[in-house]
Order: sequence, then structure tokens, then C-alpha cells
Amino acid sequence: MKLALPLRLIYLYRNLTRNPLRSGLTSAAVALPIMIYVLSMAVVDGFENFLDNSARQLRLAVTQRTSIINPLPEGHRRKIEALDPEKTRLISVCGLRYIGGQRENDPMPLSTLAVDHDTFIASFPEHQLTDEEVDAWLRNKQAIMVGRGTAREMGWKVGDRITIFPSVPPYKLIEFQIVSTLENAQDFVTNWCRRDYLEEELKKYGAPSGNVTFFFVKCASREDLDHFRGAIDAQFAGSLDETRTLDEKTFMNEFVTQQFNLPRNLTILAALTVFVAVMAATNTMSMNFRDRTNEVATLKSLGFGSAFAFSLIQTESLLLCAVGGLVGASVPFVLFTYTPIRNITIPLIQTLEIAPSTCIKAVGMALLIGIVAALWPAWLAVRMKVVSALRSLE
Amino acid sequence: MALPLTYNFRNLLVRRLSTSLTFFVVTVVVAVLCVLLSFAAGIRASLRASGWPQNVLVLKTGATAESTSIIYPDEAGRIVQTPGIATDSSGQLLLSPELCVQTSVPRIGPDGTPANVAIRGVDRVAFDVHPEVKLIEGRLFEDGAQEVIVGVQARDRYQNLHVGGEVMLGRSTNRVFKVVGVFEAAGGALESEIWSGRTMIADAHNFRFVSSIAVRLEDPARAEEAIRYIKGPAVRMNARTEVDYYDDLSTKTRQIVLLTSILIGIMSVGAIFAVANTMYASVDSRRREIAMLRTIGFSRRSIVTSFLVESLLITLTACLVGIAVSLSVDGSRQDFLSDTTWTVLAYELRVTPEIILSALGLSTLVGLFGGLAPAVRASRTRIIEALRKA
Repeated sequence: MKLALPLRLIYLYRNLTRNPLRSGLTSAAVALPIMIYVLSMAVVDGFENFLDNSARQLRLAVTQRTSIINPLPEGHRRKIEALDPEKTRLISVCGLRYIGGQRENDPMPLSTLAVDHDTFIASFPEHQLTDEEVDAWLRNKQAIMVGRGTAREMGWKVGDRITIFPSVPPYKLIEFQIVSTLENAQDFVTNWCRRDYLEEELKKYGAPSGNVTFFFVKCASREDLDHFRGAIDAQFAGSLDETRTLDEKTFMNEFVTQQFNLPRNLTILAALTVFVAVMAATNTMSMNFRDRTNEVATLKSLGFGSAFAFSLIQTESLLLCAVGGLVGASVPFVLFTYTPIRNITIPLIQTLEIAPSTCIKAVGMALLIGIVAALWPAWLAVRMKVVSALRSLE
Repeated sequence: MALPLTYNFRNLLVRRLSTSLTFFVVTVVVAVLCVLLSFAAGIRASLRASGWPQNVLVLKTGATAESTSIIYPDEAGRIVQTPGIATDSSGQLLLSPELCVQTSVPRIGPDGTPANVAIRGVDRVAFDVHPEVKLIEGRLFEDGAQEVIVGVQARDRYQNLHVGGEVMLGRSTNRVFKVVGVFEAAGGALESEIWSGRTMIADAHNFRFVSSIAVRLEDPARAEEAIRYIKGPAVRMNARTEVDYYDDLSTKTRQIVLLTSILIGIMSVGAIFAVANTMYASVDSRRREIAMLRTIGFSRRSIVTSFLVESLLITLTACLVGIAVSLSVDGSRQDFLSDTTWTVLAYELRVTPEIILSALGLSTLVGLFGGLAPAVRASRTRIIEALRKA
């Protein structure tokens, strides 16, 4: 015997609203873990995007072999450039020196790097500077480009003269003039100033100069990246300052994994929360079935087949979990797309972007939870012996 | 009149599937809570055990950590006039100039990824300034020898740092230093470090400066005076008590605690719904039973209490299992790269009594909130109506 679709839908609706509290609690118990799943995966995706973006830049990071903090002599740049004098495969080499720094009488740490001004633009094209900005950067030794997030927080704007107290030598206030607030850059925290200016300051105070913290080497292709990774280290092997060259993605990934390995830990957490949702949904579905054992027995005795009983319980469970999934996925999506919460910044990945694909995946996950949760009760319904079930009919 | 506990226990056994599913939900939430907090507790325990209130750490003004601080000998000389510096039995000032560098050492484990381990070059006076540093194995490094002693956490977390092992140091990582001893430092951050003679480290790196100066005062009460002097015109350097310095480094743990609280908050609400669901089902299927209990004289209050006890029975036993699961990570070794010092801090995950208490508190709340509404509904059962159906 078959039930017409409209009747079937009405029956389904009545079933779900028969115990609205229970249906609501089940959907909520699925929605909350799905919400954690969406947030966790958004952070994990953020890290992956960040790393993929690093990979797309076709850059190598060259550090001192022993430790990232140990300096390298600036003279290494010429030796690296000499590996490809035509600059067809090795496009540019940019030395960077960490300054860190803070404003005078303000403990908040800044992230500032001094870079080789002549190769910076070619090495970091992702900053998408305008011609005026490039011009100001090249003309003015005191030029500094500040991350737009930092600029907003500090109330800085283009043209401002600012002073920064560096966390490294010469440990004296240095004056800069802002030439850009990097409106199109992905990174909106870091400030970039000219290394030739820093060198002047270092020499003025007799501090050790002529060092960089690392070099970033822009290559023309992926093959060149692989080639120069080995070639650079070979060039300095056996010298006083040996190097360790990594592609930018591996270099960045080392930081990420060493600081609590957030991507891995969040993935574990997401898996656990999905497990919790399965438990919660299974609980309700088995309760639903138990409450309606007699009803299912009656339906079966009227001629409805096992397939009908199975699909009935499965559809109910699917619907409850779909509602939970939709709520769980849409709440973080709306919060992080349309409300001020979207301005919250997270180190490295910047703002949390909840991709529609993550939400779709989460809803899919919720549907899967619905199917898994109803498997056991639905199976019980299929196997139910009508006679014995009806015998206990109230 | 209260209902006996066995009544609740047996009721739970009637709905085995439902009870055990809810039980698992709470177990997972508690286990996640304990494990996440054990990270923060481990780091905090290590950093809290570090430093003395009477030790003042002098860094170059502007430097945020020892690794980025450079103090030249003439600047170091200006410290000696600091008021309140303690002396040893021979009258020597307890001032310890220290040189901090790093080297890359692979971690113990299948992947063996390299970690940036802190190396501290010290003079003999350092052992009087940091009296918590005690050799537990082997001997001290000898002056002028390429020898190191290693902290117990570093030995257990990184490769080849046992006594007799070797570690490559120096600007070109080409000097072989032999491990001759292992030290502990009251569980503090120094246990993640490798120590050697300052002159040997300075020579290996070709450095003519120190990173920091640790000053031990006679009395912690004089710390403020000493810090004022060092920051003042006579010295012009940055000074903080060691306790404050390590407290700043533990900022990261506050972020973990915050993140954990948000995640666990959301998960707990989910768990409350699961408990409520189970308890509502339990109430609905026991209407007649409840009516009967009321008829024979049990008050509304004892019905509410009974249902609350039932839901607490689930959540608290689940809590105990969750804690037991999380104890399996207790003591396991981790490390994290501080973005202030750029060196690794090795620590043990700690499921502390505070964490256990917060887990118990959380599951009590989940039990109470999840059980309250169903319990109230149970107590409002209309006796006549329910009995009529019997």
C-alpha cells in the first residue's frame, strides 16, 4: 500500500510537530555542533588559503641555517642574484630585517620589517601598490607602508610622520613618513620600511649593521623554485653563514604547526563535535520510534510495507537534522558575513571568511548525521513483528 | 520523603540506549574541555614556576625578549650600582650576564621536526642567581670546554640531549658541544633550555655582548626601587621582575582559555539539549508512575529532586569517564614556539585539580539545566488524569 505524497507530507509534518519540544531540542543539539564544525573548518580553510597563497607567490625564504633569529650578512643578496644574472628565472631578491617595535609609551607591539626598497615591489607584487605609492616609496628614504588594520587602530593616514621605537638595535626612536596604508594587500597588520634608512640609523649609533633576518627570493616558475632552493643552500655550504632555504609555504607552515598546530587540532575538534551530533540525533530518533512502536505496527498491519516504515523514520530524521544543519551553518555565515563580528582578526588568516562551500558541506554533514542516526530505529521498524507489537497495544 | 537512589539508577537502566547516548555526549564534552585546558595549564604551570620576585631581568630598552636584546659590556657595567643587589658569601654581587642564542634540534618522535631550542650562555654566578637550577644527572660544564648541560624538559622532548649526547652550536652550527649534565629548574621555563659557559657561546657565535642581566636582590620588596634605578638616567635599560616577564609570556595561554571557553560553551548547550531530551522522554513515559508516587505521598519537591538526581547521575558519571579519558594525555610532552622569544617552550600537559573541578562544575550545570524543565513537568503531572489512563 502506498500513501500519496501530499498525505505523506502532512503525516510527516504532524509527526514532527507532535512533540515540538523534542523536535526543537534535537535540531538544536545538531545545530550547535554543526556551528562548531563550520567555525573550525573556516579557520582550517583560512590557514590553508593563507598557505596556498604563500605557495602561489613562488617565493623562497632564506634563513640562517641554525636559527631563524640569527642574522645573515646582506652581502648574501649579491651572491644569490649571481645565480641568475639575466634575472629570467630568479626575478628578485629582497632582504628583510625584523624591527618589531612599538610606539613611544605604548606597549602594544607592532609588526614592522625593514626591506630592500629596490626589490621589494617586484618581490611582493601582491601588495598591489599604485604608481604614486611606488614613486613615494622610492623617493623618500623615510617611507613606511603600514598595514591598513594597524593604520586604523593607530589612527594613521598617508602623509603622517610617525615615530617607532624598534625592538632591535639601534633601540632609538626612528621617524618615518607614511606613503601607503596598503589598501589592497592581503596582510593588513605588517608595516614595511626601507632598510637603507635603518642601516643609516644603525651606523649613526654605532650599532652592528649590514645584516638581514631573512631573504625572500621571487622565482619565475615552480621548477625554478625547486632548482634555486637547492642551489642557494649549496652556494653557502661550508661558509661562515650557511643558509636554510624553504619555499614560502613550508616556511609559513612551520610557524603554524609549532604554535599549537591549530589546523590539526581544530580538525580533531570538528570530528568530535560531529560525533556528538550523531549521538544526540540517534537518541531522539530512537525515542521517537519507541514512542510510536504501536503506530508503526498498526501501519504495517494495514498493509504499508517495511520500506514505508523505513522511509518514514529516515525522512523524519533527515528533516530534523536538515533544520539543525541549516541553522548551524547559517548562523555563523550570517554573523561573519553581515555583522560587525566579521571584523575580528585572527593571526595569519586575517578575517574569518565562512565560505558557502563550507556551509553546504556542513548541511551535507547534517543530512548524513540524519541518515546515520535513524539507521538503527529504522531497521527496528523494518524487522518489527507486527503481531507481537500489536499485542502490547494500549 | 525522598525517593531512594536505586530507583533513579534502575530507571536509567530501563532506557539503556538513550541513557548511554546522552552519557557519551557529556563524556566527549568533558574530555574535550579537560584536554584543551590541560594545554593552557601545562604552559602556565611551567611559566608560573619560572622566575623569582627578587630577581630583576634587565633587557635593552625596546627589546621584548632576551632573544632580541643586545647589551654591550659598558652598558652592563652600569648595573652594578643598582640598590639592593644581593651578594654571595665571598661578597660577589649576584649579577648574572647571560647570552641567549638558539639552535635547531629535532624533536623526539616519528616526524622529528626541528625545534628552535634556546641556548643560554652563563657564568658560574648564574647558579646563585637562579638557585632553582639543580643538577640531577652528570656534572656541570667546565670552563673553556665545549660542554653543555640541558634542562630536563629539553632532554625528554628533543633528540640526543641525554648525558653523553651531542648538540651542534655556533653561528655556522659547526661546533660540537657534549652534553655532560641534566638540570631541573622547579618545573620552570629554564628546563626547556640548554646551558653552557658564556664565553664559549659568545665565541661560537662571535658575539661581543650579552642578551640580558639577571639581578638578584636581597629582598623582593626592593624590586621596585631597583627597577626605577635601572630605568632611570643612570642605566637607561628596561627592567622587570622575572615573575612579570614570564607572566607576559603566558598571554598566549589566556587566548587558549578564551577559545576553549567559547567552544565548550557552545558544546555544553548542545549537551544540555541532549540531556533535556532524554529526561523529557523519561518523564513522558513515566506519567502513571509519577502519579502513583504522588498518590502514595511523595511531594512535588521530591519528584523534582528525583528527576534532577537522575539527570545528574548521567552527567556526573559521564564527567568521571571524560576526566579519566583526558587523564590519558596528562603528562604527555608538547612544546610551543613563543612568538615573543622565538624559542620553544617544552611542557607537560596537566590535568590539574582546577580543571577537574571545572569539569565537575560544568557537568553539574549541564545536568541541572538539562534536567530542570523535565523535572518540573514531572512534578506537575495531574494525578487523576494520569491514573485514569492506567
